Order: sequence, then C-alpha cells, then structure tokens
Amino acid sequence: MKIVFINGSPKKKLSVSSYLLGIVRLLVRGKVVSEQVRNAGDHERVLKSIKDADTVVFGMPLYVDGVPSHMLVFMKAMEKFCMDNNISLKVYAVSNGGFIEGCQNRPLMQVLENFCKRCNFQWCGGVGIGGGVMLNVMRIMFLVYTGLFILNTVTSGLTAALPIFAEQLVVVLFFSLGAFFYCLRMGIAVNKGATCGVKFTRILLPSFLFILAADIFFVIISIFQGGIFKGWLSQKE
Amino acid sequence: MRTIIHDLDESYDSLFKSKNENVIRADGKYAPCQGCFGCWTKQPAQCYMKDKLQMVCRMIGKADELVIITDNYYGAYSPSVKNVLDRSIGVSTPFSTYRGKQMHHTLRYGKKKKLAVYAYGSMTEDESKTFRYMVERNAINYGFQEFEFHYLENLNRLEEMEL
Ligand SMILES: Cc1cc2nc3c(=O)[nH]c(=O)nc-3n(C[C@H](O)[C@H](O)[C@H](O)COP(=O)(O)O)c2cc1C
Repeated sequence: MKIVFINGSPKKKLSVSSYLLGIVRLLVRGKVVSEQVRNAGDHERVLKSIKDADTVVFGMPLYVDGVPSHMLVFMKAMEKFCMDNNISLKVYAVSNGGFIEGCQNRPLMQVLENFCKRCNFQWCGGVGIGGGVMLNVMRIMFLVYTGLFILNTVTSGLTAALPIFAEQLVVVLFFSLGAFFYCLRMGIAVNKGATCGVKFTRILLPSFLFILAADIFFVIISIFQGGIFKGWLSQKE
Repeated sequence: MRTIIHDLDESYDSLFKSKNENVIRADGKYAPCQGCFGCWTKQPAQCYMKDKLQMVCRMIGKADELVIITDNYYGAYSPSVKNVLDRSIGVSTPFSTYRGKQMHHTLRYGKKKKLAVYAYGSMTEDESKTFRYMVERNAINYGFQEFEFHYLENLNRLEEMEL
C-alpha cells in the first residue's frame, strides 16, 4: 500500500503541518512518501507520486477559515489528474489553526469533504487542531530541554539531570496530548483503510491563558523584527 | 466605503469600476501568502512581497462593506480570490481577543458593516452549505456585523444589481 503525505504549508521549515504529519506517520506502515506543495512548480512531482497511491494524507494550515489559496489550485489540478487517470483514493487530513478552538477548522474540513465528493474519493476523516503555533513552540522547547538534559547529564550526572528533564517533558507533552492522540489514531485508521471521522482538538490550555501567551509571543517577535516600532497597531493609510 | 473583490474578466472589472472606487480584480497575477506574519510583526499592514497585493489589506480593512464575487471551488472561494484574502491578514493586528465567543485578532480598522459574497459556477447543495458557513465564519473573523451569501446562477444578474 502506498500512502502519500502532502504538506500544504508554504513554510520551508518548521511548519506545524509537517510536525503533525510526522506524528500521523509514526504508526503508518507501507510505502510512505512525503511531499510538499508550496506552489504550482510542485504539482507535477506530487501528482506523479499520487498516480500509484492508495491513500493521501493532507496536512495544511488554516488560512482565513479555509484552505490556503495555493492548495485550492493544487486540489483542482489533482481533481483533473485523477479523473483523467481514473485514480481513486482514500483521503485523510490534519489541519491546524492559530486560534485555540479546534472547531474553527470545520469549514476547511467541509471543503475537503466536498473535494472528495467531486473526485469520487473516499473521505476518511480529519483532525482539526487549535493553537498550532503553540504546538510548534512546545516542539522547540522539547528540543531545548533535551539539549539541556544532555548538558546536565555530562556536567552533573544522570541521576541529577533526569528528574528535571522528566518534569519538563511532562509539561511540554501535556499541552499537546490531544493533538498526539488524534494524530496517532488517524495513523491507525490509515493502516486499516478505515474512516476515523472528523475530530477537533486543541492545545490543552484555557483560552484566556492561551490568548495571554499568544499576545506575549507576538510582542516578543515584533520587538525582534521591529514591527512594534513601526505603528504596530495603527490604522495604515 | 465599499470594496469589491472579483475574479471576473475585464468587462466586469470596468462595469464595477464605473460605479465603485475600490475594485480589486483577482486575476491571479500575484504570489500566495508565505505564512511569515511579517505583515504583523515586521512591516505592519504591508506584505514583504512587492506585487499588487503588497498593501491590499489596507483597502480591504477600510471597507465597511466588502463585496466578493467568486467562482465556487468545493464550497470555497476561487484560488485567486482566496489569495487576496490570505494576503490581507494585516486587516487585523497580532493581538487576540474574543469575538463570537471564540478567539480572533483585534481589528486594525475596527468593526465593519457587511460582507456580501456572490458565488457562481456549478455548486452542489453541500458546497452551498459549506460556503454559507465559511462566509459566516469570515464575517466574524474580519469583524463584519452582517453577512450575506448568494448563489449567482447567471452572471448577467450582476448587471442589474446595485454594484
Ligand atoms: C494568511 C493566514 C491566515 C490565517 N488564518 C487563520 C484563521 O483564520 N484561523 C486560525 O485559527 N489561524 C489562522 N492562521 C494561523 C495559521 O493557521 C497557523 O499559524 C498555523 O499554525 C500555520 O501552520 P503551518 O506552520 O503548518 O503553516 C492564519 C495564518 C496565515 C498566515
């Protein structure tokens, strides 16, 4: 069985979509191919990869409550390609948005379902995740903590380093548990070729705390990138 | 002020321009959003890509009435129209708030009156439901107090409409 993972984030590195697809992939067996669609230049390669596939798993960011524009272009090309070549596929999707409520991904999931109907694909379900940017921050924290753990082990020994690392790990993993659970569950469904429904989950944090964290995040980034000194919130003419 | 975004040809473009100051023809001759958030964090309300959408968020942000005329893609906007919307998140600021009981960004240009979307092309019943829902969600996201969604069976109707 050939499964093609299509990352629809335009980001070259560190996209949340690639991270989430990576988690789905953990449990998927068979011939797995990972692709990314950033612009029309990628279409030919990715369509070729789909030609003998059984399953496609999309991963994409939520843009303005829907599918990013470059992915709509790709989906249209994919519809034509699959119709012309008589290709039928099982389709899964994982999407993430910056806002905390996972259900804000619902219109995107509906668009993907409509797309499957048009193409005569089997829509097998999706996971819509809220608070995607924070998932990424947690992933980076995980790497930082791992680095510190190694450093700590070298300088103070494993017994001293391990409890600190374990505690940090629990905190970092906890927030992402919902996303991990549904992504892994989707991986299992992919293996069986089963449907998994459309599920929504989020970073496991109350929304007012998440908003506070998001505000702090953007203040820090805007200081570094200079936007805060350039009429950050003002109405530009 | 009313802003119109459409993906139709030159003749419609002239028709709209004869009655409206702010018309954005979504002809697809521009790049898709790269997801960098630079229009919030680096150069507020300005995209780093120097094409005709570089400042488009300002034109959209200032509109109390936004009219969108678009081909239907699976219950969503056509890619060229969606590209314009994706490139205009500078209409809001990076700060977050609650709107419609959910998290959204605060609005750089304040609340607005109405978002009206006219979609054409073949459309299934499911796609129509999705589209209406999407427009409702977009209206909350962009801070419009009202929204309308219409299916245009025939583009000729545009000529009779008050656009
Ligand atoms: C143009 C644009 C529009 C966005 N619109 C939304 C939105 O409507 N709702 C939301 O929750 N997040 C929105 N986001 C946030 C992204 O979905 C979020 O940053 C996501 O984690 C990006 O995923 P990626 O790293 O895989 O590209 C938007 C981001 C961009 C750049």
